[in-house]
Amino acid sequence: MLARVANNLFWMGRYIERSEHIARYLNVNYFSSLDAPNSLSQSRQFVLHSMLFMVGEKEEDPTKVLIEEDVLFKIGLDPDSPNSILNNIKYARENANSARDLISTELYESLNKFYHFSVNYPVATFVKNGLYDFTTNITEITSVLRGKIRGTLLHNEVYAIIMMGMNIERATQITRIINSKYNDALKAQLNCGEPLSKSFEWTTLLKCTESYDMMRRFYKKTPTSISTLEFLVLNPNCPRSVMNSLNQVYQHILLLDTNRYYNKSSTAFLVGKVKSEYQYKHIEEIEGNIKSFIESILESLSQISIKMEKEFFNY
Amino acid sequence: MANIDSGIFSSYKRNTDLFDELFDENGSIKSVYQELFDLYGAHSIKDYVNLNDKAKASFFNQGITFQVYGKNETQEKIFPFDLFPRIIDSNEWEIIEKGSIQRSKALNLFLWDIYHEKQIIKDGIVPLELISSSNNYLHQMMNLDPPGGIYNHISGTDIIKHSDGNFYVLEDNIRCPSGVSYVICNRTALKRALFGVFNHYKTHTVTDYGENLLDLLESVKPKGVDNPVCVVITPGMYNSAFYEHSYLAKTMGIELVQGSDLFVENDFVYMKTIRGPIKVDVIYRRIDDLFLDPLEFKPDSALGVPGLFAAYKKGNVTLANAPGTGVADDKAVYTYMPQIIKYYLDEEPILNNVHTYHCSRPDELKYVLEHVHELVIKPVDEAGGYGISIGNKLTKAEIENVKKQIKESPRKYVAQPIMSLSVHPTYIDKSESFEQRHIDLRTFTILGKDKEYVLKGGLTRVALEKGNLIVNSSQGGGSKDTWVLKN
Amino acid sequence: MSTEYVITYKAENLYEGPVHKAHWQFLIIPEQNTTQDLVSIDFKNSINAYDERSVNGFGFRSIRIRPKKEFDQIRFEASFKLVKHQTNPFELDSGLTPSEEYEKINSLDFKVDFEPFLRFTHFTSLPDNSQDLFKFRRDISIFENLQALNTWIFKAIKYSSEVTDVQTTLEQIIEHRQGVCQDFAHLFCALSRKNNIPTRYVSGYLHQGNGYFGDAQMHAWVEAYIPNMDWVGFDPTNNILVSDNHIKVAHGKDYDDCAPLKGVVYASGDNETTHSVEVLSQEQQ
Repeated sequence: MLARVANNLFWMGRYIERSEHIARYLNVNYFSSLDAPNSLSQSRQFVLHSMLFMVGEKEEDPTKVLIEEDVLFKIGLDPDSPNSILNNIKYARENANSARDLISTELYESLNKFYHFSVNYPVATFVKNGLYDFTTNITEITSVLRGKIRGTLLHNEVYAIIMMGMNIERATQITRIINSKYNDALKAQLNCGEPLSKSFEWTTLLKCTESYDMMRRFYKKTPTSISTLEFLVLNPNCPRSVMNSLNQVYQHILLLDTNRYYNKSSTAFLVGKVKSEYQYKHIEEIEGNIKSFIESILESLSQISIKMEKEFFNY
Repeated sequence: MANIDSGIFSSYKRNTDLFDELFDENGSIKSVYQELFDLYGAHSIKDYVNLNDKAKASFFNQGITFQVYGKNETQEKIFPFDLFPRIIDSNEWEIIEKGSIQRSKALNLFLWDIYHEKQIIKDGIVPLELISSSNNYLHQMMNLDPPGGIYNHISGTDIIKHSDGNFYVLEDNIRCPSGVSYVICNRTALKRALFGVFNHYKTHTVTDYGENLLDLLESVKPKGVDNPVCVVITPGMYNSAFYEHSYLAKTMGIELVQGSDLFVENDFVYMKTIRGPIKVDVIYRRIDDLFLDPLEFKPDSALGVPGLFAAYKKGNVTLANAPGTGVADDKAVYTYMPQIIKYYLDEEPILNNVHTYHCSRPDELKYVLEHVHELVIKPVDEAGGYGISIGNKLTKAEIENVKKQIKESPRKYVAQPIMSLSVHPTYIDKSESFEQRHIDLRTFTILGKDKEYVLKGGLTRVALEKGNLIVNSSQGGGSKDTWVLKN
Repeated sequence: MSTEYVITYKAENLYEGPVHKAHWQFLIIPEQNTTQDLVSIDFKNSINAYDERSVNGFGFRSIRIRPKKEFDQIRFEASFKLVKHQTNPFELDSGLTPSEEYEKINSLDFKVDFEPFLRFTHFTSLPDNSQDLFKFRRDISIFENLQALNTWIFKAIKYSSEVTDVQTTLEQIIEHRQGVCQDFAHLFCALSRKNNIPTRYVSGYLHQGNGYFGDAQMHAWVEAYIPNMDWVGFDPTNNILVSDNHIKVAHGKDYDDCAPLKGVVYASGDNETTHSVEVLSQEQQ
């Protein structure tokens, strides 16, 4: 496979995954805030700030009054905002275009429809009353795309590279969402005296990652900071957890790795190392210092991405 | 049985001055079309519009689109497609197929000659100006023997049927002719929308193009290579024919590369893969000559591969089509095609040439200037239907303007009588009915080492504007599925 | 008698930003022909990038370089040893009368065979008002006409490196009447071709120390084809015939076919290139 095309496939995977997480974050936060238990979590401004924080466009002045339509447009459909959902989908399609001869017609057609759906979505409807419809569609179409990737591509190098991209991105987005909700929980504690460990924001966090039902089934208790983090970071069976994503990254890098001997500078080695680190971590180590955990995992994921680029996409 | 007065053809207005493909000289429907006519006629306009919309959506969703670059935004458009197919019976097809091969072979021999001995010029058959004043003649190709002796591996021949019922060639395209992917997509779309109609006809398949193209590429591999690695090179995804490039790579199962994916070392070409460099032996190139190698041709080209020409000259890689073929699809060369065919093959041309006046010759220039209103004026070195003036469509002021341009640089122009392209019933959105529209046919001929093949179908292009004779997609043309019937 | 030459060609490229990707092609290796024998080639560059020997599209030897790592400056140094044999162009004689010569050059076969060097290219096209700048006399031989043309250009154009660059066309040169060897050579090609004599642009090195114009850099001159005499070299910059002072590298239709250095460089910001040529000679018996 051409190195450039491998890079395109990797990023196609990343952008598809990224658009889904952003869409769900908007959807869940907006609608759970409507009947949230405390006044802060219920406040529209609080939600809008949180959304900007999550996509990396944090508003530095916390007292600034944000206009709902502007924020939704910026994150959803703004063609000039590089992080908007629209642009993520556009980049995904552009990358797919460049690798078009390698992916299935079915996958390409779905991705192409996805793009046309987003680019033709009326902006006025979206910012007034289309948020639910648009974001729900995005998350559903991404599921379809995931199905097409799994079901219409040979499970060979092409597939492995897309899956690497999706899983590195998933781990990254889950971590970013944890970071945002942790940030919100801190604010709620400061503002309304809601204890951090029992914050309402943990429930929102689980919903943002589509893991609420799985978590309730697993712990059979109301989510707390410790159980939520344990589930989303360390539980290998939760398909949205950082651990699960790392396991998948490892599984797929082995398909690409041709090192017959021990090679400490290979991507496979680095992924294995990061994976093992989290495999044998316990949640108290993380819960004690969430901030440093977040920094460290994001750094590791970015190192893996850089290493991949060097080893496979260098052209 | 449906007839002309009922169903979707009821509002079809037949101008009997035009050669309508559907009707014979007595004005009755030709037997090959009868069944199709009945099947289509049984639909209501509403049904038909519905099918048409579905077919369009299918093109759009498959991303079979081209970009239209506007002032503010670029738009994606589908290449307009008409669901009423064109039928060519096996007798007519035989003429077209033989004629296309004859022209491709003659052009190939012509190219060999003008890049070697130039005997045809020395013998006074064609003038020296064909090469000496052509910007497409590449001196780097002189005395270079392309593998298998083939220059124009792939040719696109634009053929029309004139009102006299005979086939004429309008143009030979032997640089990087495009359009073949539409032939296959048109067939797919028609099958999806109206699969039933295929049961009534025995039509040749068009899906074997990819394997024939790959066969060809493998047949012209460099010496000493057993299993050649073939690739398609594209200028990239912003090129209007990118869909076709990726389609061809995909159907042949070979890599689609851009210039930056390749590099040259020790005069061999390699592609950069996730497993390191892999040697490339045959390149089906869809970038123009001057962009192939910035060290040899256009220095600012970012599309090509530095050192590629040196590798080609050494015989370490094959380029299809060979560089420098453009000199032979110059419109001035076209006018000598009957002589060229006779000279190399000692045969009479199977397909007619349209009579051409050379503005570079004083007596012909005089005729052209006096008859602009009844001629088509074409610039010698433009492709894609650009710069063409059709005399009977011009105002007085425009005619004067054209005359002025010709007088300024007569060598740049040729003129031909206005050919009346045959018409075919074509569904027109605006009037929600079938109307007569002019069509042509582009055939795709493959010439390899001991290999000749013409895709049994070709691209029927249709000018969607009423009365328009220019069918190129860049000028708003559409296309139709083309059925070549089995014996 | 022969002369031994040691030629050193140096180029240095400096870039403001780092260069990620670059390709160069040098056309600086002296040609091997009957008047010159190439003894050795030595080529190096400051970043130890791999260099490969190849040929360009016209069959002249080239050196190509494609560095695999980033850099912001690179120096190239080539040195060639060569033995040049003395020839006397004045001994040549076509053995034909002027009218026989003209008959020959006007035949179709001749025009076909020499088409590339009768062509008016971007650099050898005369402006409309200068088409008849120099007309050949039919009563003297082609060789004599060409010598007269050589002298005429030498007198008409003042040597100056201030006025023109590699992009300058004949229109500007004729207007300003100043230029460098490249411009002299292009004008010669144009006027000679205008009189139906196949003429090619030649690039190479010039013996230093004789006070010739254009010896500090690579030089340019021309070769014209005279029936029965083969290609004969003229150096209009110095009003001399080409002899053992001229070391040929390549020929072509014009400068574009012979550019000593072509490159494709992906870098941001400005860049600066300097070249120098040194030609040392020693007479041999």
